[in-house]
Amino acid sequence: MSSFILSGMQIALFSFAFITLIRLMLGPTSSDRLVALNVLSAVSLALLILWGIRNRRTLYLDVALVYDIFGFLGFLAITRFLKHRKEGR
Amino acid sequence: MIIREILSLIAFLIGTAFGIVGMIGLFRFKDPYSRLHAGSLCATTAVFSYLIALLLLSPSLASTARLIILIVFFLISAPTGSSIVARFIWESEDAEKHRSSMAKEDKGL
Repeated sequence: MSSFILSGMQIALFSFAFITLIRLMLGPTSSDRLVALNVLSAVSLALLILWGIRNRRTLYLDVALVYDIFGFLGFLAITRFLKHRKEGR
Repeated sequence: MIIREILSLIAFLIGTAFGIVGMIGLFRFKDPYSRLHAGSLCATTAVFSYLIALLLLSPSLASTARLIILIVFFLISAPTGSSIVARFIWESEDAEKHRSSMAKEDKGL
């Protein structure tokens, strides 16, 4: 039953990531793409943790923690960059 | 052991339902504000439920401790990221026409 839950979770997370990627490619403005990227970072964090629990390796959980911190800093950098590009034009 | 798996299955079903609703909302809504609402609310709830389900299934004490730290940090970082995106949408030029169209709809109502 535990492996069934883990497999179902993996399928659900992969389909969420795929749907969000479609939204990321379709989005007409940069705001829509940023919204999709926000969701995608959370989904990929859950995928990393799922992989670590499933293979019984705690290394993936450390990677997930660092990924969460740097994804958060990356959002600040991306929004700052896009804002300055718009102001400079 | 079996109680753990049943609670984990309940959390998994709640997370899947919230995730599907959020993905539908990400495509059906018109402006970026509503999409941000659907994405940040439903996707954060779905991922949080999945993390609780994984916490119940975690094999050892080391992964449990790391998962608790990850859940606390996710609860801090996910709304902050959504707030950064919302401020970017509010300050960008594309949002002006969405705001004016929303004001027009309100006047029509």
